[in-house]
Amino acid sequence: MQGFDISRRSFIGAFGAAAAAGLGLAGCGGQQAATEGGSAAAGSTLSGSISCSGATSFQPLVEAAANEFMDANPDVSISISAGGSGQGLSDIKDGKVQIGRSDVFAETKLDAADVEKLVDNQVAIVGMGPIVNPSVDIDDISTEQLKGIFTGEITDWSEVGGSAGTIQVINRKAGSGTRATFEDAVLAGATVPDTFKPVAEEDSSGTVVDKVSQTEGAISYVAFNYFDDSKFKALSVDGVEPTQENVESGDFNIWSYEHMYTTSDADEVTKAFIEYMLSDDVQANLVPEEGFIPLTDMQVKKDAEGNVTAA
Amino acid sequence: MANRNLDAHVKRIGLQNKIATGILTCIVGFVLVLLAAIVVYILVQGAGKALSPGFLTNPSTDDVAPGILYQLFDSFYMLLITLVISVPISLGAAIFLVEYAPDNWITSAASTAIETLSSLPSIVVGMFGSLFFVVTLGWGISIIAGALALTMFNIPILVRTIQQALEDVPRSQHDAALAMGLTRWETTVNVMLPAAMPAIVTGIVISAGRVFGEAAALIFTSGSAAARLNFASTNLASPTNPFNIFRPAETLAVHIWKLKMEPTPGNDEIVWGTAAVLLVCVLLFNVLARVLGKFLARRLTAE
Amino acid sequence: MAKLMPKRSLENVGLTVTGLCIALVALVVVTLIVMVAQQGLATFLQDGVDFWSFISGGNWIPEDGRFGALPLIVGSFSVTLLSTVFALPVALGSAIFVVEVAPGFGRRVFQPLVELLVGIPSVVYGVLGLSVVNAAMRAIFGEAAGTGAGILSGAIVLAVMILPTVTTLSIDALDAVPNEYREGSYALGCTRWQTVWHVVLKSALPSLMTAVILGMTRAFGETLAVQMVIGGVERSMPTGLLDPAATLTTALTSGLSNATTGSVQYHALWSLGLLLLAMSLVFIAVIHLIGKKGAKKRG
Repeated sequence: MQGFDISRRSFIGAFGAAAAAGLGLAGCGGQQAATEGGSAAAGSTLSGSISCSGATSFQPLVEAAANEFMDANPDVSISISAGGSGQGLSDIKDGKVQIGRSDVFAETKLDAADVEKLVDNQVAIVGMGPIVNPSVDIDDISTEQLKGIFTGEITDWSEVGGSAGTIQVINRKAGSGTRATFEDAVLAGATVPDTFKPVAEEDSSGTVVDKVSQTEGAISYVAFNYFDDSKFKALSVDGVEPTQENVESGDFNIWSYEHMYTTSDADEVTKAFIEYMLSDDVQANLVPEEGFIPLTDMQVKKDAEGNVTAA
Repeated sequence: MANRNLDAHVKRIGLQNKIATGILTCIVGFVLVLLAAIVVYILVQGAGKALSPGFLTNPSTDDVAPGILYQLFDSFYMLLITLVISVPISLGAAIFLVEYAPDNWITSAASTAIETLSSLPSIVVGMFGSLFFVVTLGWGISIIAGALALTMFNIPILVRTIQQALEDVPRSQHDAALAMGLTRWETTVNVMLPAAMPAIVTGIVISAGRVFGEAAALIFTSGSAAARLNFASTNLASPTNPFNIFRPAETLAVHIWKLKMEPTPGNDEIVWGTAAVLLVCVLLFNVLARVLGKFLARRLTAE
Repeated sequence: MAKLMPKRSLENVGLTVTGLCIALVALVVVTLIVMVAQQGLATFLQDGVDFWSFISGGNWIPEDGRFGALPLIVGSFSVTLLSTVFALPVALGSAIFVVEVAPGFGRRVFQPLVELLVGIPSVVYGVLGLSVVNAAMRAIFGEAAGTGAGILSGAIVLAVMILPTVTTLSIDALDAVPNEYREGSYALGCTRWQTVWHVVLKSALPSLMTAVILGMTRAFGETLAVQMVIGGVERSMPTGLLDPAATLTTALTSGLSNATTGSVQYHALWSLGLLLLAMSLVFIAVIHLIGKKGAKKRG
């Protein structure tokens, strides 16, 4: 139940003891449901429906888990819709859904009063890395260079050790969780000048992958689970390869949690599903299968402000 | 001298005429080639996938051969609900405008309202739907919210076609019926509607084709979650019951949009396959509209 | 008119039922306008964003609290106008061909085929644009085109999308010109081209303009197809046709997924919706104006 541990501690960090008492209760309820959740996967009499909306980045993971959960519990229906982290958080805040997915901490998008009513369930870690078109002839890039490229100061590949050619920067839309994570780690507080204009700001990793693979000289960033050597090349950062091990050890620092927010008065089915997401069954199998990093082996953790500490 | 000038003039305008006709023919040829290119490109890209076993009969969650069965069902079901709501309302509104409308500000306000609806961007309708139907009325992301959003932009199209159809009925038939002592209502129901029926049916089917392909208004109202349906379910309130109008649904057009956003391997083929299926459906709607219109016209005039 | 009571009540039933239908439609439209206005105006009234800086600001960076919608407005207008410029000659040429040159072929074969184009869903156009138009831009303009996404790509896709609307309406407009005009012109010895150029087009001008405006309305409101091909850069003003940009509609679609309800960002998106709504009302007003002028000219 390390997942719970992280969630509870980050919560305390953000809100102090008062909120922790509330979460402690929720945590207990959840843990009790955990045993049920374990048996739930083996077949039980759970029934009800869950809607889950929000971040698209780990939707395939949740969909895969939901399908297995529903196969084990035929009377449970889980509908998973896309949207984006913002929509997931508004939907859970407004009570439109039972689970809101987000790849950023709720604190970055909601008022403190609204965050207090939510329970943060971190279900997986996602690593992200810079990717370039296969025509680009460098394999490693420094954080400093990345910062220059994504703020428009470096515009030619020759400036970072490649052969000459315009750097075509493809960004994600402002507000996307992937972009927030990437900028937190790379820009380190620097702001992007108004004059800098990327060649595209995409709504989704899907279009980013398409465009990086088609556009000569293109650079962008996507989550590890979208890595595909046949289409583009992933760069190592400061000599560190973008791999699961390096994220777990804390050497590679572009990563974030995948959150599934629920309300503190979530119903039985929702709790059971969240427990299922955190169970060994999912963490040890589905999570790595879908290209994510299980919580169990992380040696570092991040809080809502982005501070990394040893776990 | 004058004669030569005239000759030259005649020659010049003759040449102009020929050139103009040539250019016009080229333009028409270009449009036909463009149309053929679009249709053929989509069908060639998608046919392989669309015809592959299981594509039309498997759910999208199938591990081996993901298909579009539920999206296909949801598209037609959504269309059905939309038509059930929008056809009667449009029929009533059009009859009012043609038969009863007093020539005053109320009528002109009403027709301006319909005109406004027709020129609204579909995303604005979707936003309104996501706030009003989904949140204010508390229906959640659901088929009914999506169908009502679709209704909002199907209504202006339908009202206009029905109005046109009713106005195209010869005035003499209308006047003769009134002169025989029928009320306007009886005239409409017994004389006007039967006469206008072929055009009305054609209009409804063509509008159905447009509703079928709409996505922007649905993303925030009926959602982009692939449904998980249980066709054996008898409980109408169950979210897995295919006919429950309060469950979320994903139509073919939304499915394409969503897949384009999620780059899992093999998605591109599914996108093209779905696009080909969607295109064929829309083409069928067009053909059906024409055939049905002709058939009805023949039957009604034969009687 | 019958004076029998049942007949009168029957008539009243008819009047009430159909009247209710139209009242319902009007009510929905009013609700929509009120709700969009309420949410959209909250940006200015409740969140204190200055209306003038909203309209004229050159940077749309919501996460920094900078709401300058001008790049989006410019984006919307440039793709709309450019696509009209592309589509108009083709649409008009086809319409003249159908009405004046080969009515048989035009009516029976060409027009139904063109109307098929209306039916192709906009997502399908978007997917096509993404794989064909963007690639073509990269092939033609090379590095300058970036990913190939930009205003030009958006305009090309939109031009194809509005082509059938403008063509069909232009055909109707030319068709409505009384045949006597043509006969008079031919009797004077004019060629077909002279007749079309000097007589038919001139007298059909108001309806042709309506056709163009309706096409523009469709282009202005189009969402998903444009979103896939335009590049989506909202943060600053586009400076060229190959520049990636965003429109009011694309900013709405991508923004709605990332904004949380009740926040300034969320309200600002509704303000964009309000702008779109206002623009469609302007388009309607223009069409009415043209209609009135045309009627005055004729009568």
